[in-house]
Amino acid sequence: MSEVVITAAASAAPRRRSRFLARALRQPLGLAALTVLVLLVLLVVVGPAFLPHSPTRTNPLRTLQPPSAEHWLGTDELGRDVFARIVHGGRVSLSVGLFSMLVGLTIGIAVGGSAGYFGGRTETVLMRIVDTFMAIPTFFLILVIVTSFGNHPVTVVFTVGLGFWAQMARSVHAEFRRFKTAEFVEASRALGSGHLRLMARHILPQVLPQAIVLATLGVGWAILTEAGLSYLGLGIQPPLASWGNMLQNAQAYLFRAPILAVWPGLFIAVTVLSFNVLGNALRDVLDPRGS
Amino acid sequence: MTQYLVRRLGQGVVVLFLVSLLTFFLINLAPGGPSSLLDMSTTVAERNARYALYGLDRPVHERYVTWLAGAVRGDLGTSINQGLPVSRLLMQRLGATVVLALSALVLAAGLGVLLGIVAALNPNRWPDHLVSTVATLGMSVPNFWLGIIAIIVFAVELRWLPASGIVSIGRSADIVDRIRHLVLPASVLAFGLMPNVIRVTRSAVLETKTTDYVRTARSKGLPDGKVVRKHMLRNAFVPITAMLGLITTVLFSGSVVIESVFGYAGIGRLAIEAANGRDYPVILGVTMLAGLVVVVVNLLVDLLYAVIDPRIRHV
Repeated sequence: MSEVVITAAASAAPRRRSRFLARALRQPLGLAALTVLVLLVLLVVVGPAFLPHSPTRTNPLRTLQPPSAEHWLGTDELGRDVFARIVHGGRVSLSVGLFSMLVGLTIGIAVGGSAGYFGGRTETVLMRIVDTFMAIPTFFLILVIVTSFGNHPVTVVFTVGLGFWAQMARSVHAEFRRFKTAEFVEASRALGSGHLRLMARHILPQVLPQAIVLATLGVGWAILTEAGLSYLGLGIQPPLASWGNMLQNAQAYLFRAPILAVWPGLFIAVTVLSFNVLGNALRDVLDPRGS
Repeated sequence: MTQYLVRRLGQGVVVLFLVSLLTFFLINLAPGGPSSLLDMSTTVAERNARYALYGLDRPVHERYVTWLAGAVRGDLGTSINQGLPVSRLLMQRLGATVVLALSALVLAAGLGVLLGIVAALNPNRWPDHLVSTVATLGMSVPNFWLGIIAIIVFAVELRWLPASGIVSIGRSADIVDRIRHLVLPASVLAFGLMPNVIRVTRSAVLETKTTDYVRTARSKGLPDGKVVRKHMLRNAFVPITAMLGLITTVLFSGSVVIESVFGYAGIGRLAIEAANGRDYPVILGVTMLAGLVVVVVNLLVDLLYAVIDPRIRHV
């Protein structure tokens, strides 16, 4: 009897992995998006070491130049190389996006998971807090926090994360609630597992696929939000470049050099688009029963 | 029915109260006071006098109670940077934002529902893929960038539409002029809202496709058009209405940025000016107003639910 069980288990593992891979390979859009993102990350991580121009050195003699062999994307209103600023700005925008998503993810899973698992009054209190955060339009919430706590890059990361956590908590709450009464949880509890172990080691892995999808889409949203904040002058401050504040500079020169406004926004759009496409593809691969 | 409404009303009030608590304490947790009060040239005595004027010398919970007592009577305090009552500032600017938001909502809902239905009726064929592409683009493109590009194309290059503002100088009574100023901001705002509408409409209509009553209607011989209108749409509208309520939050968030791009003097711009100037009473007032609108809209949506779907009244 035990040989049958062991053999079945052994042959299940490689089959599961190859099934995942097979499904993953059937998502051409997702793979394309992933490639774009990998290239982008490479560009912003490795690029600064190879750039011929500094992103902050101004050159009053060569302002608002169109793209040329010397300056691949031209120069901005202070004579700075646009391409260099795009690469450095990408570093900032991407890291803020990634880290703020992680902040939102952590808080969301912690709050949502606890609410779903413990139930009762804990659940009511926690979910009311979630409802409160969701009742305030995200940008207003972010404005309030930025007004109070300033716009140091780390603060910006936490602020954007705080705009994201409530949605995460809602989804995670539903999932934890569903799995709370599952048999494997009860079995583990009977064997003496405490609450934390049950939540982290047993329920969380089941919720992970959905969380990964939401996290991927969340990075896209975080990048958009940081860009908007920086565009409004409330996020990343110059001279530190971010795709958002580059757009703010560009708006003053719409009549003289409209091309300046195209590059940062284009990069934002392509990046967020890739994250969204990747997230949708991940959803099809990891969670095929949904829709 | 009334029991349902009363219950929802009670929940709404609780949420509003919690929103005020959250916002007030977030603002007051700030390290450092309002920037205009930190004028280094005034003496300590003068600064303390200004603190007392704005009640900043009393403990937080006392300030909250005072503010709340005023707020329910319509008094939201005075703007630090402009010296005017916050409620007056809000009323001045609210109209413009409401007009913008409603126009964007109508555009997004109208087009979005249409596209969602088209996609659902042709699943996995080219109309569906086209609509998905539009939806994904709408979610990925930064709306302020789209606004800037729209200004470049339509205002700078083609000169068809104005680049900013609510109304041209000296033409404040001209409705056509106001509409021309609305076109770009409302369209850009709507483009960001459409993906949600499309997604929900598509899945709602798809769900009705596989139901028994639709199968019955079809087997009775009802023409497809009638099946869609009389049975599928009517049932699909419940989740669509729900989503329209949720969209209000996105609408407000979007208008904050869009109003900045287009120099449109509404609530969003007011909030940004207040944030830049650390004008606490105004930020508090604006956020509370936004929260109030969201709660009210969701309540109305629940009312609409009960009207459209009689089953809900008896829950």
